[in-house]
Amino acid sequence: MTMSSTYDAIVVGSGISGGWAAKELCEKGLKTLVLERGRSVEHIKDYPTANLMPWQLPHRGAMPKKVLEENPLISKAAGYGEDTAHFFVKDADHPYVQEKPFDWIRGYQVGGKSLIWGRACQRWSRHEFTAPERHGYGMSWPIGYDDVAPWYSHVERFIGVCGNADGLEAMPDGEFLPPFDFNCAERHLRNRLRAHYRDRHVVQGRWAHLSQPKQIHLDQGRGTCQARNLCMRGCPYGGYFSSNSSTLPWALRTGNLTIRPDSVVHSVLLDPSGARAKGVLVIDAKTHAVHEYRARVVFMNASALNTNLILLNSTPSRFPHGLGNDHGLLGRYVCFHDYRASANGTLDGFEDQYFYGRNPTECILVNFRNVGERTMDFVGGYTTFTGGYRTRGIASAERVGSAYKDAQTKPGPWGLYMYMQGETIPKVENHVRLHDTRRDEWGIPLLVTSVGYDDNDERMIRDWRAQAKEMLEVAGCREVETRDNGQAPGLDIHEMGGCRMGRDATMSMLNEWNQLHAVPNVFVTDGACMTSTGNQSPSILYMALTARAANHAVEELKRRNL
Amino acid sequence: MKRRDALKSTTLLIGGTFLASTGIFAACRPGERQERRQALSVDDENLIEEIADTLLPTTTSSPGARAAGAGAAINLLLTDCYDREAQGRAVHGLAELRERSEARFGRPFASLGVAQREQLLREIDAESRERPDHWFPLVRQLSLRAYFSSEVGMTKALRYVLVPGRWTGCVPLAPGQPAWA
Repeated sequence: MTMSSTYDAIVVGSGISGGWAAKELCEKGLKTLVLERGRSVEHIKDYPTANLMPWQLPHRGAMPKKVLEENPLISKAAGYGEDTAHFFVKDADHPYVQEKPFDWIRGYQVGGKSLIWGRACQRWSRHEFTAPERHGYGMSWPIGYDDVAPWYSHVERFIGVCGNADGLEAMPDGEFLPPFDFNCAERHLRNRLRAHYRDRHVVQGRWAHLSQPKQIHLDQGRGTCQARNLCMRGCPYGGYFSSNSSTLPWALRTGNLTIRPDSVVHSVLLDPSGARAKGVLVIDAKTHAVHEYRARVVFMNASALNTNLILLNSTPSRFPHGLGNDHGLLGRYVCFHDYRASANGTLDGFEDQYFYGRNPTECILVNFRNVGERTMDFVGGYTTFTGGYRTRGIASAERVGSAYKDAQTKPGPWGLYMYMQGETIPKVENHVRLHDTRRDEWGIPLLVTSVGYDDNDERMIRDWRAQAKEMLEVAGCREVETRDNGQAPGLDIHEMGGCRMGRDATMSMLNEWNQLHAVPNVFVTDGACMTSTGNQSPSILYMALTARAANHAVEELKRRNL
Repeated sequence: MKRRDALKSTTLLIGGTFLASTGIFAACRPGERQERRQALSVDDENLIEEIADTLLPTTTSSPGARAAGAGAAINLLLTDCYDREAQGRAVHGLAELRERSEARFGRPFASLGVAQREQLLREIDAESRERPDHWFPLVRQLSLRAYFSSEVGMTKALRYVLVPGRWTGCVPLAPGQPAWA
């Protein structure tokens, strides 16, 4: 592959937001270089486990003890298993320093974590953008729902999001493909909660799955979701959205995209003016050779904490504390989603009902706390994911032989589960920084994470557990149990902030178009840009903000403002 | 012999190149695996398969644990996915079963009739229920795990469709329909 070292645009990272930056910039005619620190992963070709039967996996899907012992951290990640581990990093390869416990889950390959993401795609409500300021726990966003709504639509139409138009204030409707059906336990839960409460809405999951593809999806080479629910192996049908199945091949087709895997970005380089980036410094992951790439705009999509790391490590004389970091706010206000609490119970009845296929989505119990007005002893809201399942095996007096075996093969009782996704407060003390002395094999300082829970999180968890128990009992469940798994921040894989957007350049890193206040041809549009966390799954907001920023960048380049 | 064949077929099905190259499965390269020390000897593997097949026998509706190759699968799981304590507990348990079979019936477990085998396992099961560190629950767990993750278990005893093609949330359960794997 021949590559010139000068491009119109550089995108650092090929995950869910980097793929979107590449697509938008290439479509608008910009010669774009995508730098990915991990290996190449091509759609379908590099999904080695995608079509394996469960019994064809060496340990039937279980991870050997040795691998678990060598990877105590990454092996905690949701979806990590024998069939997917090749899309997660190994602990030893990518060390960092936990000043407070923090599980930093990474997927270093072309496509990044878009191959292994959760795929939930709810829109933020207008309240979520303003609640931190109104309820006194943070700073207002420089933009609101109306600024993002057209870009949500733009993204939804392209990636394909299934769901139902539910008309709810706390979770606005989008442009949806048909939803995945409720099963009978979920329908029962929806009906019971609807009858008992005025504010508890169980709706069908809004998920990045092609329940019924449209022409735009077929044009991407993607097809109908086959209800395999083996998504994280990579989908040979393109049934769910990933950079690999969608944005990257789309961008490649323009002829404007170059993808360079195995490219560890060391830092962003400034031109002599001190107010413009001229490019980035790259260290080849394998050869350690150093390359400089230049462009008129740089998009930072390295994943939330790696974007922080690269900017902190970009220390030209004008910015000795990191790019655009005159006020010391870079790396501060790191936040996440609280997934600590879950609940489940057994649901009697529906013995003669079953389902067909494996639903890759989950139902959503829409946030009902602090919507609009603050009414609780905590701030922020929570989204609850919920679903009905049917266990395998019925009780059997016989514990050996034919009757025992037969009992094990029968569908068992139904159950309902719930788990929380809670908003957390962005706090100045929750931060990441560069380690003073320790460096990785590419000579880049290790990241130090110093991120923890607070009392607000504890109060929210208490309320969630009480409400989950009550609701499952209202639904008629017995043996309802709630639990707090005490997991460290980060395992949510929703780390956000550190390079937040804001109106006031003295209080934030980015303006309303995701440009560094001090270096406006650098755009940060991954999770690092988040001013607050909201309670919705963040990926689709990153995609919408990226598309919005990329189009702004193109306009500004045309106007010669960049 | 049986174990080696089963392992060979497993690696064939996986298709070596990728799995060996990722490093994730480096511990499971075919050449190395056969030389690696397994948690169970050939005799122990055969005996544990007899136990699994007594717990989960061939019935009119589906083949049992032996037909599913449960012994080799249990040995592999026990070797790679369980700690030394569990491995030792299983080996100790199998020795105990040998002794009890001889003491009780004057014959090895494998040559007992179904009724005698079931009787012995029921007695051991009853004893184990008051002792959480007993070997029998571990062997039961391994048997269930190996059987219901095997092709026979997932497709003949349960039902598994790799590509369902669609999701239907609510359908009547047909009489006698097994659970989805």
